[in-house]
Amino acid sequence: MVHFVIVGLLVVASTLGLGLFLTNAPILPLQASEQAITVDWLFNIHWWLIAFFFSLITVFILYSVFVFRRKRGERGDGKYVSHNDRLEIIWTAIPIGIVLILAVIGASTLADVERRDANALTVDVYASQWVWRFEYTAEVQTEAGETILTAVSTDTLVLPKDRQVLLRMRSADVIHSFWVPEFRIKQDVLPGGDEFVRELRITPNLEGLYKVRCAELCGQLHYAMLADVQVVTPAEFDAWLAENAGDCNLGDEQCGQRWATTYGCTACHSLTGESGVGPTWLGLFGHEVSLSDGSVVTADLEYLHTSIVDPNAQVVQGFQPGIMPQDFAVRLTEEQIQQIIAFIVSLQ
Amino acid sequence: MRFLSTGLVRGLIAQIVGTVVGMALTMAIRVLVGLPVSSTDAALQQHITEVHVVGGVIIGAMAFMVGVGVLDEWLGWARGKPINENIDPDPSKPNWMRYFGVDFDHKVIGVQYGVTSILLLGIGGLMAVLFRTELAQSGITFLNSDIFEIMLGYNSEHLFNTLMSLHGMVMIAGNLLGIGALMNYLVPMMIGANDMAFPRLNSFAFWINVPGALILVSSMFFGGFDTGWVGYPPLSVRAPLGMEMFLIGVYLVGLSSIAGAINVIVTVFTMRAKGMTMFRMPIFVWAALATSIIQFTATQMIGLSFQLVMLERLFGMGFFDATAGGDPILYQHLFWFYSHPAVYVFILPGLGIISELLPVFSRKPLFGYKAVAMSSLGIALIGFFVWAHHMFASGMSPFLRVPFMYATLLVAVPTGVKFFSWVATLWEGKLEFPTPMLFALGSVVIFLLGGVTGPPLGTIATDLHLHDTYFVVGHFHDTMFGGFVFPFFAALYYWFPKLTGRMYNEKLGKWHFWLMWGSFMVLSNGMLLVGLLGMRRRIVDYDPALGFDFTHLLITIAAFAIFLSVVLALYNFIRSARKGPEAKDNVWNSRSPEWHIPSPAPLHNFPEPFEVVGEPYDYGKIDSPYVIMPAASATGHAHAAATGKE
Amino acid sequence: MSAIAESYAVKLGRNRLGLWLFLFSDLFVFVGLFVARVVLLGGQRPDLDQTLGIIVTVMLLFSSFFMNRAEIEMAHGNRPAFLRNIFITMVLGLIFLVGVVGVEWQVAHFGPGDGAQGAVFYAMTGFHAFHVLTGVIFLFIVWNNGRNGHYSAEKHWGVEACAIYWHFVDVVWMFFYVGLYLMGNPI
Repeated sequence: MVHFVIVGLLVVASTLGLGLFLTNAPILPLQASEQAITVDWLFNIHWWLIAFFFSLITVFILYSVFVFRRKRGERGDGKYVSHNDRLEIIWTAIPIGIVLILAVIGASTLADVERRDANALTVDVYASQWVWRFEYTAEVQTEAGETILTAVSTDTLVLPKDRQVLLRMRSADVIHSFWVPEFRIKQDVLPGGDEFVRELRITPNLEGLYKVRCAELCGQLHYAMLADVQVVTPAEFDAWLAENAGDCNLGDEQCGQRWATTYGCTACHSLTGESGVGPTWLGLFGHEVSLSDGSVVTADLEYLHTSIVDPNAQVVQGFQPGIMPQDFAVRLTEEQIQQIIAFIVSLQ
Repeated sequence: MRFLSTGLVRGLIAQIVGTVVGMALTMAIRVLVGLPVSSTDAALQQHITEVHVVGGVIIGAMAFMVGVGVLDEWLGWARGKPINENIDPDPSKPNWMRYFGVDFDHKVIGVQYGVTSILLLGIGGLMAVLFRTELAQSGITFLNSDIFEIMLGYNSEHLFNTLMSLHGMVMIAGNLLGIGALMNYLVPMMIGANDMAFPRLNSFAFWINVPGALILVSSMFFGGFDTGWVGYPPLSVRAPLGMEMFLIGVYLVGLSSIAGAINVIVTVFTMRAKGMTMFRMPIFVWAALATSIIQFTATQMIGLSFQLVMLERLFGMGFFDATAGGDPILYQHLFWFYSHPAVYVFILPGLGIISELLPVFSRKPLFGYKAVAMSSLGIALIGFFVWAHHMFASGMSPFLRVPFMYATLLVAVPTGVKFFSWVATLWEGKLEFPTPMLFALGSVVIFLLGGVTGPPLGTIATDLHLHDTYFVVGHFHDTMFGGFVFPFFAALYYWFPKLTGRMYNEKLGKWHFWLMWGSFMVLSNGMLLVGLLGMRRRIVDYDPALGFDFTHLLITIAAFAIFLSVVLALYNFIRSARKGPEAKDNVWNSRSPEWHIPSPAPLHNFPEPFEVVGEPYDYGKIDSPYVIMPAASATGHAHAAATGKE
Repeated sequence: MSAIAESYAVKLGRNRLGLWLFLFSDLFVFVGLFVARVVLLGGQRPDLDQTLGIIVTVMLLFSSFFMNRAEIEMAHGNRPAFLRNIFITMVLGLIFLVGVVGVEWQVAHFGPGDGAQGAVFYAMTGFHAFHVLTGVIFLFIVWNNGRNGHYSAEKHWGVEACAIYWHFVDVVWMFFYVGLYLMGNPI
């Protein structure tokens, strides 16, 4: 009986120590969304369960190792105890109870995390290898005084604080996964038509700069598939949206640079001369290019246009076909394509 | 030069020839049906090459099986020759040659499995060490070395993805072969059989692994692949040719699993010694049975899902490509239907080993034998209904999530039963700590860590944070090391005297344990920590701003230490097998039947059948014999121990 | 095997258990394919030639009948009747194969690369046809061994195994026939 008292006290002490450590140590990222509060609350329950069960088993084992070890010169076998039905029923039934309670809590936290707000801000998320693009719908006043809706496309996810955002996500190629660790919850982004659009609801509650980190292996540059997330005050958000809602009023080259960034071109095509997943754009225009079929062509305006709308038609030697999205003819307007070409031409 | 005449060498030569012939054959068929065999279009040429290579590789694998000679009997039967009932080894050949060719003795096949397993685990470990070196600090600093680019022809990111993906699958193949080794070597001896039920099928099941493993590892030289071991489409449909090698290699290893498992089940059900009821079997046999039940059913699903990906790649059949009417989630369901239960395939035999060893070294009965036996079946059974917990974030039908959460958490119950029973087995025992016992206790603690980190992954809300992070990586390395690697080493040390008739070096064994156990604790806790803090899985480089550099450095050092400790163990095994002190008797004073015949075990384990008259784990009970071994089978000393009168 | 010779009856029991376990294992492939069919096509089915479908199905059903006769004749020691029946089974199996692969695959107005319908149809019939092909080879070997006097009324495990396998392949087709030709509306 003495054994059990000692072990019991040790288990309690160990559980308290371990539990307090796990619940207080900085082992989770910053808490920056309403959902994170719920998730972290559930984490704390887990930490205490872990502390208890880990202590229970290890304390018993360590105690046995030190107290019941064979003493020098000792002979014979241990005590003959083969089973104990009552004990076995108890240690089956109690875990079943704990597990069922945990599952009920798990279901209710899930419902909490998924709670819908009718007033949510909708953002369309487009993932492709290896860029994120976000599209907002903004109201714009025309010169005639009408209010029309226009799409705002960016490579930074700007979110107003304390308002639920509904992310409607789709992928152009393979499976990606939207995850901002500070917001906790993640959702895979699937390729395919409308039936494969997946949604995620997040309510940011802390201003700051975070990053979307693609969480599902999506090929070569998966590790670098990041996007900035900026949580700002509602007023700042409205101002930002209004500022970006208009057409590009800059020169062709500047606009081209803007499209090249927001549509992800520069993730693979460097502007510095380094060879990436795709050929660099620096000094490309007007120079000779060796293609994978062995021919050599000059990178003129027509070549650049074809390479954007039909990338597999002319694959540069040393690069893989089929990596670049093939739907830019649809995703970009002709004007945008011309502006991107102007930007490439300017990189000499 | 007799080595050149062994089945292995003949098989390898046949595989090379077969691959070339197969490619030519595929080309010829394409010409006959009017398909092009070459193209100026780069993408089309890539596809044509892929078809030819796949055709060649499949024929090559078949050629290996013919070359090694494992199909001789069956081909003879197909030609109408009578079946040769005598399958004893040819006495004119030296003993070592038996291990390099077709042999039908379960002990030889067990060793073949074991050595191949250790080789694969070594290759997988080497891959881990390579990419861990890269991860030791942020920035891409190691894998971008020109040597790799020149040798393999691809860049650092792709190399990392290939190494990391192959590490996963090579280790899984190594695990499967490792448990194949344990089950083949131990199950017949433990139940009093002289061999497995189907010795030819047994040999087939081993040898199919050899071309399988070769093809799997060769994917590195066919352009690699970047999908992780899960091979999710559409990524796996777009991956380079190496993907096909991965799919074919795993398929062949899977065939081995199915054939081996059927063999184990039939052996256990039909070949037990007189008096050995199901509840008098050594507990490991229960674990082997539960594992086999999963293996022979669920494995078909990974085979199917991989074949469907191959069909999609080769013939453009749109199973998983949403733009062609397919569904990427379907693959995940088929894949995890095997791959979750597969985890239990790896751990159940290991947990069986723990349950087998603790009573011997505590000199106490296994507490709650029936409950422990049933908990193995329980884990196996529940394991079939939890697969979708890998898909909480996948975007599958939302209504599936909560039921799968309930089922997942239920796995904790039978697993808990095992832990409690182990603790009760140790309680008030007379504990001794030779190397196998250290490994058994070490695995209990590590597996416990794997167990308690499971529920946060089981409840959906927390899993949405943890999914695809290093927390998952840490969790399953805990389960794999606690459930397979440590018990596997425990088993290797424990049955080493049985296998070789010699004793391993205890001092080196203990060094191995402490180095490996300590390093692993650093490694897994480091992984769990960075995972919680937001470290994603499967990335070649991480943001230095996250502050993970130091932890990653520790993990890498620990990985090197683990590798080193395994080298130490292999040195110990090889040296002791030749020079270790003789250990012919029942060195551990065990009640189990395999220890009551001479070591190493004779060709036919039990020249005369024994009879089971009592309970297997009645340590500490006077006059309670388990088996009565006839004089022809037993060693003199062991006989006394067998009857429990010491 | 071992030094202790084991009786034919003991081995027969083991072989039977082994075969049934193998078939149970194999069943998972077909269940998986059927699940894929339900997920991908749901309430639709491939647009196929119904007449051809019913013909090959009847052929396979008849073949199972003859397979059964062959096994019973062998159990009664009637070798000529056994050989006749197993030969008919083999021919019917071949007709099924030609019907599915040689005709149906050619006349279908979609190829394997044509969407979910093509993928499902060619995969289901292809996996099944592969089993029929192995079954026919099995039948041929047993027929050939039978001609050479390998089986007797008491010892004919080869014939029994072949029969069980053939019936299994046949039963699978009954489900596949429903899944491909009858369930849902044509696309």
